[in-house]
Amino acid sequence: MSWARRYSALIRTAWLVDLQYRASIVLWLLWGVTEPAIALGIWWAIAGSGTVGGYARADFARYFFGVMLINQLTIAWDSWYLDRWIREGELNFRLARPLHPAHEAVADNIAYKARTASVILIVWLVAAVLWPVVRLPATPGRLALTAVAVVLAAGMRFFISFTTGLLAFWTTRATAIMELHAGVSLFLAGRIAPLALLPPAMASVAGVLWFRSMLAFPVDLLTGSVHGVDAVLRGFGTQLVWLAFWAAACRVAWTRGLRRYGAVGG
Amino acid sequence: MAETPLVAAERLSKTFQVKVRDPGIGGAVRALLRPRYRQVHAVRDVTFRIGPGEIVAFLGPNGAGKTTTLKMLAGLLYPTSGRVHVAGFDPWNGGPAFKRRIALVLGNRQQLVWDLPPEETYQLNRAIYDLTDADYRSRLEELVILLGLGEVRDKPVRQLSLGERMKCELVASLLHQPPLLFLDEPTLGLDVTAQEAIRRFLIEYRDRHGATVLLTSHYMQDVTALASRVLMINQGRLLYDGALDVLVARIARVKRIELVLGGADGVTKDALAAFGEVKSFHFPNAVLEVRREDAPATSARLLAALPIADLSIEDPPIEEVIRQAFAQGFEGADA
Repeated sequence: MSWARRYSALIRTAWLVDLQYRASIVLWLLWGVTEPAIALGIWWAIAGSGTVGGYARADFARYFFGVMLINQLTIAWDSWYLDRWIREGELNFRLARPLHPAHEAVADNIAYKARTASVILIVWLVAAVLWPVVRLPATPGRLALTAVAVVLAAGMRFFISFTTGLLAFWTTRATAIMELHAGVSLFLAGRIAPLALLPPAMASVAGVLWFRSMLAFPVDLLTGSVHGVDAVLRGFGTQLVWLAFWAAACRVAWTRGLRRYGAVGG
Repeated sequence: MAETPLVAAERLSKTFQVKVRDPGIGGAVRALLRPRYRQVHAVRDVTFRIGPGEIVAFLGPNGAGKTTTLKMLAGLLYPTSGRVHVAGFDPWNGGPAFKRRIALVLGNRQQLVWDLPPEETYQLNRAIYDLTDADYRSRLEELVILLGLGEVRDKPVRQLSLGERMKCELVASLLHQPPLLFLDEPTLGLDVTAQEAIRRFLIEYRDRHGATVLLTSHYMQDVTALASRVLMINQGRLLYDGALDVLVARIARVKRIELVLGGADGVTKDALAAFGEVKSFHFPNAVLEVRREDAPATSARLLAALPIADLSIEDPPIEEVIRQAFAQGFEGADA
C-alpha cells in the first residue's frame, strides 16, 4: 500500500511541476512529432508510387506513426536529471530520504510517458479517421506483444539513461555521452529509417547491440513487420539480455559512483 | 555525556582524489592527455562521541572538513577509513530504517519543489515517510506554529523569502520527527530576525522532542545561542572538543574592559593607555584590552583613578577568539 501511495505522490508532484511549464511540454511534444514527420515526408517522396526496400508509402506512414508513439513511450531523460543532481549537489537530500532516488526517476518517466504518449495516441487516432493508410489492422495478440516489448524497451532505455547520468560521478561530460548515444541511435534504433533500409552490416550491428531493441523491434511488432515465432522470440530474447546488461551496469555504476561521491556537489 | 552515544566517530577519515588542471587551453589539453591527481585529506582521524539531546556545533573555516564530516555521519559519503555509528546504525549501510531516524537540512541545497507551494513537498514526504494522516496533521500544525509560518503554505516556493524557505525546509525535514538532525549552515544568508527565529525553533524542538542536533555554521551567534559543545575542525583535524566558554578562557589571553566615563571631557586616550591597550575611544565610551589575570586589578585601579560611570569586563568577541585560535594552532586548547 505504501508503495502505491509513494508512487502516486511522486507522479502527482511530477505532473504538478509539468503544469508549471506548459509551453515546454508543447515544445517537447512538437519535437516528438516533428522528427518522425520529417523522416516520413522524405521517405514518402522517395518511395513515390513504388517501394523502397519493400516499403511502400503506406508502410512508411504506419512505421513512422509507430516510431512517434513508441519513442515517446520508451524515451528516458534521466541522464540529464542525474547529471544535474550529482554536479549541483541535488542528490544529497535525495540520498538522505528513505527512498532510492531511482524511484523518483521511474515516477517521472511514468508521468512524462502517460502525458505525451496519450496526446500522440489521440493525434494518431484523429489521423487514422482522416487518413486510412495509418490505420493498423492490429489484433489483441499483437497489441499485447507490443505492450510487452514497449515495457522492456522503456526499462532498458531507462537503465541506459540512468547509467549514463551516473557517469557524472566521474566526468563532467555525462550528458555529452548521452548526446552521442542519441546521435547513434537516430540511425541504429530506427528513428530515421526502418532498419531494413540500412546497409546490412549496420543493420546487423543494430540487431546484435541494444539499438534495435530500444525502438525498431517494438515498432515492427506493432506494424506487423516481424514474421514468425522465431523472429518474435529472438527479438524478446535480445531485449531481455540487454535489459539485464544495462540493469547490471546501472547497479555497478550506482554502487561505485556513490563511493566516489563527495568531491563534487554542495 | 550519556553512556550510550547517539553518534560515535572513531578515527574517521575522508580523502578525495582531485584532478589537477593548469589554467588555459594548454592546461586543459595536458589534463586530457596526462591527467594528474592530488589527494585532498578532507577529514583526518577524527574521533568524538555525542549523546542524546545534545546540540553540537562544528566550527571551522571554509574547507575545514565540517560538511564532509556531517555528510559521513548522515550516510551520504563513504569514509576512507575509520568507523561511524549513528543512532544504532552504520550510516552507509543503514538503509531506509536509518534514514527515517535522521533529518538532513542543507542551507544551500533544498528539497522543496521550487515551482510548487511547500505544501506539495510536505505531501510528498508524508507518502515517502509513510506517515498516518493523524501524525501528518498534528506534526505539521506543531511545526507551523513553532516556526511562526502563516500564509506561505500555498505560495510557490520560488516566491518565498529566504527565511520563509528555510522555515518550510525545516517543516519538510522534520515531519517524520527524527531524533537526529544534521543541519549544514541552516541560517545561511538569512536576516537577523529569521536567524533568531530558526535558533529559537531549534531549541524549542530539542526541548520538546529530545532531539540531538549537529550543525555547522559560519554565524557565531548560532553557535553561542544553540550549542552547549563545539567541535573545532581545521584542515580536516579535530582541534578542540568541548564547551565554548572553556575554549574562550584557554585561547583568549586577554579580557576587555568596557568603560563609560563620567564627568566632563577630561580623560584622554593617553591617560587610558597607561592601564592597557586602547581598542577604541569615543568619549564617553572606551574599550581597553588587558591580560586576563590583570583584569580585576586593572579595573580596581581604573575605578580609583578615573571618573567612571560604568565598567564591565568581557571576553573578546567570539569571532576574534576563533580567528586567534586558528592562527595560533590551538596551543593551549586541548582537543
